[in-house]
Amino acid sequence: MATQDTRAILLTHTYPQQGFRLLELTPELDALLSSADAPVLELKSPSNALAKAVPDVSGQEYVNLCTPTKTYRIRQVQSSNSLHLLRPSAGRISRADIKVVEEEAGESGALNLPDDSVSAIAKCGSTLELHTPPDGFSAVPFLEKSLRLYDRRSEDVDEDVMMEESDAIEDMGATGMQKVREQICADVPVSAEQCEQGWVDICAFVDAKSGLTGWRPSARMRLNVWKRILDGTILQGIDLEKQFLVEDLWKSVLDDDESEPFPRGLLEAVVRKLCTADERPALPDAIKWASLERVECSSWVGETYLAVTAPTASSAIGRSEFLQAWKDCLPESWRGEASLSKLQNGVYQSPDPTTIFFVEPSQRQQVAKAAAGSAAAAKAKPTRNWHELLKTQKRH
Amino acid sequence: MPSIRLHPKSSSPTANVILSPNLSHPITNSLPQLLQTPSGLALLELQGTINLPSTEQDDDQNHCYQSPKGPTFETPVGKLMFPDYSTLNPDDTKWMKRVYLYVGRYQRMTGEVKKLPRPIAVIQKRVEVENPSAEAEELEVVEIVRYKIFFKNRPEPVNDV
Repeated sequence: MATQDTRAILLTHTYPQQGFRLLELTPELDALLSSADAPVLELKSPSNALAKAVPDVSGQEYVNLCTPTKTYRIRQVQSSNSLHLLRPSAGRISRADIKVVEEEAGESGALNLPDDSVSAIAKCGSTLELHTPPDGFSAVPFLEKSLRLYDRRSEDVDEDVMMEESDAIEDMGATGMQKVREQICADVPVSAEQCEQGWVDICAFVDAKSGLTGWRPSARMRLNVWKRILDGTILQGIDLEKQFLVEDLWKSVLDDDESEPFPRGLLEAVVRKLCTADERPALPDAIKWASLERVECSSWVGETYLAVTAPTASSAIGRSEFLQAWKDCLPESWRGEASLSKLQNGVYQSPDPTTIFFVEPSQRQQVAKAAAGSAAAAKAKPTRNWHELLKTQKRH
Repeated sequence: MPSIRLHPKSSSPTANVILSPNLSHPITNSLPQLLQTPSGLALLELQGTINLPSTEQDDDQNHCYQSPKGPTFETPVGKLMFPDYSTLNPDDTKWMKRVYLYVGRYQRMTGEVKKLPRPIAVIQKRVEVENPSAEAEELEVVEIVRYKIFFKNRPEPVNDV
């Protein structure tokens, strides 16, 4: 029972109420937002077109909360209880009103008013919770839909608009290209770092000469670039594993008449993807120097080759044929890297022991899940037997 | 769709200005130390809601998300009491187990002060000081709250305070 000594605080309701949202923080977000140099976060949702092109598993509209490096899905959770925000009262309350609460307290009223009062200034019927799906967030599906496919056959060269020389556009290049990339990424509902990661992974590039359009090269185009690089390095004696000037590499892939087989941006995107991770400059910066990492680079080449030649189950190719072709796509000293074990999990599937085909990244998760499911089922069986075994043992 | 920027809590006291625009004198916060935050915001969870005369409720609907421009007034609802809290011994947390909310003289709710399993960021539309009519909507974390006063039970009758 409260005694007269207990301090009572008057609770009031302020009109008009204010609008607030309550966001439940994860420990990392709490640490981030509480730090002295907390970054500005972003609430991102896909553009209408992108939302249709890349439907969410939930099939609903959504908003993601993005830190510079991480993405969270926001879920609004309704509560049957009401959450009120209190703050020390502004003191706009008359003594006559207080009597309503303090009716018969009379002279002995315990309230020291109006200083000791708090007021409910807002009511929230729901809170926002944050979730990260088990598969995480990737920018790749969104980028694939928002970038134009770059898949030019070499014989198209002459009529292709991309070859139109225009120095004026090239001059405004770097900043203009960065702007285009930022515009594209603004519609991709994941964090800037994940956007950049996805951009690098698919070798996306902005080409100033085609009116500042964002492109994603097809697997065939990427393989072509790689083959050109390989030929160039042999001719110019460039060792890909040692630091080389990207400028030199570019010169080495040019045709005899100095004409460009593909935009320089594409070459840089491929080099950026394949270069040793700690040498990779942040996206806005041009890549000037690079050296390639043999193992990762080799597996990327194998994967890309498979994507070009056997993109579906129906076009599966022979394994030995694939391995031979893969080896032929690598520098002489790297040929030993071409083996199925060097391909990342889920990249390929084999309909039978002698053939192999490429699995699209979007399909891989399902395959992995199905595999995990059957593995779990396989595991479950002996366990159950073991239980039964124990049971029978006990009985005897 | 443009993204909406969510600014972290600013270290300057602007948040306070936004929350209580017309205050010239400093406010004293009479809640227990543990519930006090720099901006003065605290969380109160109730089973049910605070009912006010209906005319006011209707107006609430219209003005809910406007920043208060017209007159502000407060309606007394009840009294909060922390019967076991003592300013002399602020580190002792046993007092958290008991909080009363008296509504009128004969009804009391019993609740407690709870540490939130996950802290809650209180977010508000950012008021652009220089350009209040700025088109782009920006949000701001005005406070991170770590405790709440929680009344999970219905009011019970009491005969005397």
